[in-house]
Amino acid sequence: MKHYNKKKKNQYIEALSKIASKKDVASFKIIFDYFGPRLKSFLMSSGSTESIAEEIIQETMTIVWTKADYYNPKLASPSTWIYTIARNKKIDILRKSNKAILEDIEVASLPPIESKLEDDIELDQKFDIINKYLDDLPKDQLALLKLNFIEEKSHGEIAKITNIPLGTVKSRIRLAMEKIRTRIKNDGNATDLNDVNIGKNIK
Amino acid sequence: MIDIIMTQPALSSAKFLFQKCISESSSEGNAIEVIRNCISGKFLEDIKPTDLNKHVWNDTLEIISINKKTKQSKNLDQLYEHLPQTLQNYLINTKIKWKNYGKIKVSRINSKSEKDKLELIYVNPNASIPQHTHEGNEAFLVLHGSYKDQYGTYNKGSVQIRNEDHDHMPIGHPTSGCIGLAYTEGKIKFSGKFYKILNFFN
Repeated sequence: MKHYNKKKKNQYIEALSKIASKKDVASFKIIFDYFGPRLKSFLMSSGSTESIAEEIIQETMTIVWTKADYYNPKLASPSTWIYTIARNKKIDILRKSNKAILEDIEVASLPPIESKLEDDIELDQKFDIINKYLDDLPKDQLALLKLNFIEEKSHGEIAKITNIPLGTVKSRIRLAMEKIRTRIKNDGNATDLNDVNIGKNIK
Repeated sequence: MIDIIMTQPALSSAKFLFQKCISESSSEGNAIEVIRNCISGKFLEDIKPTDLNKHVWNDTLEIISINKKTKQSKNLDQLYEHLPQTLQNYLINTKIKWKNYGKIKVSRINSKSEKDKLELIYVNPNASIPQHTHEGNEAFLVLHGSYKDQYGTYNKGSVQIRNEDHDHMPIGHPTSGCIGLAYTEGKIKFSGKFYKILNFFN
């Protein structure tokens, strides 16, 4: 994986700030041209059709335009922020695709979603510092996380693709997540992770 | 358990909503969601771009040139304020259709045409749900208040897995009752008791 390109990152931070401060269309175009095509690859690799991917991109970019003032470079890189918006848009799309095949009136009569999700963007953009921990993860663990998160494969599917036993897939993913969480915690960046314990509630 | 649920692909609206609600209600869930977004943001920078159709940029420009006024949203149910933001958004301007079962009420959130199921459950203060077991596996997330049964007491942000082996009689918190979200996957066949729980979310 390529190393994090600071210069590029700063360029997009600056563009976002110009969108926020003076609704600068040229800056918006810079963001659009860089992230749009990447989001498209991303969305299509997790199963979106081309038209759905472009619909999500359009809506995501609209939010980038209107909510750029919510972006805080101290909390997240531009790519994490924009990804988070796109992911939150996914629910609209899932909802629409349900409607298309829907027969029962109860849900068909739901009003069009008027998403307030973007108002919570600020809450979502934490711990960009995690990026530096990711670089330290073993390659095999990172590869599994990629299949898991980017391509949205289940643990079972990952086992088949990689020829790694299911139990190993599960434990490696769990291990990778725990490693990152422990480091966040040790560095004092975490919210309190203590109040929920894995497995505590299962009898 | 939360990490297993959170690292499953969210390919249905029920599962996606369930994950988002976990991430809002529990710090462990939130940490995983944040990590997921950071990882994905990082991969986004490295992915090979795919050209967009030209109209996408023009359409986007057109959308942003129209000044959209945000409509005031109405919360049509007194329970709204206790729901995670994700559910509030999803249910915005929607009247929650409850089915009453004595001292508890249940509302299905996702479409009936989907094979998995997401239900909002409200248990009145001090109400006890009659002894029951579960058909298949159910994951239950406490959103507000708490409840107890013979296995323990469960507070906001905790997730429990229940199946037909759990014969229990939950009781809602004496003053605040309990609001929870139940997620049930489509029919799955399992072998062995331990396996059941491990493979629930596969």
